[in-house]
Amino acid sequence: MKKITVDPITRLEGHGRIEIFLDDEGNVANAYLQVPEFRGFEKFCEGRPVEELPRITPRICGVCPSAHHMASTKATDAVYHVDPPQAAKKLRELYYCAHMCHSHIAHFYVLAAPDFVVGPTADPAERNILGVIAKVGLEVGGEVIKHRAYAQDIQAVIGGKATHSVCGLPGGMSRAITEEERADFEEKAKSMVEFGKFGLKLFDDVVLGNKEYVDIITGPIYTMESYYMGMVDANNKVNFYEGDIRVVDPEGKEVAKFKAADYVDYIGEHTEPWSYLKFPFLKKVGWKGLVEGKDSGVYRVAPLARLNVADGMATPLAQEAYEKMYSTLGGKPVHATLAFHWARLVEILYAAERLLELCQDKEVIDPNVRTIPTATPDEGVGVVEAPRGTLYHHYKTDENGMVEKVNLIVATVQNNPAMNMSIKKAAQKLITAGKVASEGLLNMVEMAFRAYDPCLACATHTLPGQMPLEVIIRDAEGNIVHRLSRNLSFEL
Amino acid sequence: MKNLVLGLGNPILSDDSVGFHVVQALKGRFDEEQVTVMESDLAGLSLLDLLVGYDRVIIVDSIQTVAGKVGQVYRLGPDDFVTPRHAVSPHDVSLATALELGKRLGLEMPKEIVIFAIEVQDVINFGEKCTPEVEQAIPKAVEMVAEEVESH
Repeated sequence: MKKITVDPITRLEGHGRIEIFLDDEGNVANAYLQVPEFRGFEKFCEGRPVEELPRITPRICGVCPSAHHMASTKATDAVYHVDPPQAAKKLRELYYCAHMCHSHIAHFYVLAAPDFVVGPTADPAERNILGVIAKVGLEVGGEVIKHRAYAQDIQAVIGGKATHSVCGLPGGMSRAITEEERADFEEKAKSMVEFGKFGLKLFDDVVLGNKEYVDIITGPIYTMESYYMGMVDANNKVNFYEGDIRVVDPEGKEVAKFKAADYVDYIGEHTEPWSYLKFPFLKKVGWKGLVEGKDSGVYRVAPLARLNVADGMATPLAQEAYEKMYSTLGGKPVHATLAFHWARLVEILYAAERLLELCQDKEVIDPNVRTIPTATPDEGVGVVEAPRGTLYHHYKTDENGMVEKVNLIVATVQNNPAMNMSIKKAAQKLITAGKVASEGLLNMVEMAFRAYDPCLACATHTLPGQMPLEVIIRDAEGNIVHRLSRNLSFEL
Repeated sequence: MKNLVLGLGNPILSDDSVGFHVVQALKGRFDEEQVTVMESDLAGLSLLDLLVGYDRVIIVDSIQTVAGKVGQVYRLGPDDFVTPRHAVSPHDVSLATALELGKRLGLEMPKEIVIFAIEVQDVINFGEKCTPEVEQAIPKAVEMVAEEVESH
């Protein structure tokens, strides 16, 4: 076969890049995360019927289509001023809990576990899901596949399609589920609860049982003080589908609680000339740059943020796991970025337990799943907690429901300031004067940003290579002194 | 023998949709008992779920290489080190890893996987159409895939 050198760097901007700038002494002066962006999504949506957006917006990416589908469906409810029947809300939440399990399982076992089970500086050839199952057993791999399939089946049955659901309509759902389907979901949900417990047990044994890992998690390399944002129910417990948005300060005190529709009063968007991504911040605190602490409006979303803003979990086993996490890590809020992984496991258990509760609620088979909208459509905001954090969809339409304006605030963009700061901090602590920037160190810098489960795909898309990432280290004159890249070059 | 022809891509991201267009043109062309024709934008473990149970899988995807000419069509195997755009995911495993995982877990994996990859240019602007050079390559890719399906 012909030899072709495939080097996406030069042709494609479709990969993440971390640029690290050294000072005269060779220490890290600055570090930035850069990702490419897609163009024209808003324009693509303009002029289309708003009820099509729940089917279009999940196409932004294949990573969390169900989160976009639900946020979008809720936004169309708001645009049409229609309140779905109780059964529709429960069915949506049931579907959504399955989605959270599906997404979180992949992240933990495929992306996070290799760093902890195989080791942060282990040979990259081993540091993957295959290395994980080699260590913890083949049957774990089988359980991962099985429970992902369960979660996928539930989404496919309710969603009406294997991927890219078509179930959400303004005012409810396209169809109800049958008793047979409910009973099948219930069995699957029971198994998911067990698998959720297993994940936490694995974390307990492999991570918490290893002092070196605990020191890494709680140590200064990966700690960052910020505000946190997430959705809570009426009892201030974590909820992924419905509730108010709560914000706590770095000491854990509530500083805001608002309805989705009011997000513009709370979230500002700063721009930097060196990045395509915006830098969202808390308006009432203000943008003070990429700095930590109470005076800076930088906030974080995603699993740890959700647990930090809530008073607890609404299901018993997840609540136990929640309490254990905070007692182990020294109380609330936790600022350890790597604890995102632990929080993600607590959330898998919560999502599974909540899924089971909803499957056992006979109202989910009530055939009344739609309130037909009668009001004139105009404007509305829908919000859900995507696996990666709070996701806002905001639409404006004309009186016929044709889209005039679309604004999406996705989770990864909200974490963009914090990701930049986390990377800089890790780089500063790991790369010091005279030290060789090895692959292992690169991976440890990358761990700072992997914890956020960043969906570069959301502002961007599926990229060539497995988490392609380039780290460029420049000296004080701007010359490239190291270039470390993963999965960027291939030969054929 | 159970065959799967799988078009990968994002149907609203310009050239990224080329895999979708190719397989759409192939719908109805084969015996449905033997050949399933499907589109998807999944990757990694989710892609693995789709492949399980088929004897032969033919994937159609977009690719970007350094020296490639836009519209060029490559026939690749899963062992080639080059990776088309949707055979991978930043959130997940590569196709090669997913296949290896499937094998180790004893899943019923396809005995044969062939990938047709079309060199593309615009994958950052949203739109339902491919660029002209990629559009022109679709009939050729369709024939290459059909020939592959009918080869055995």
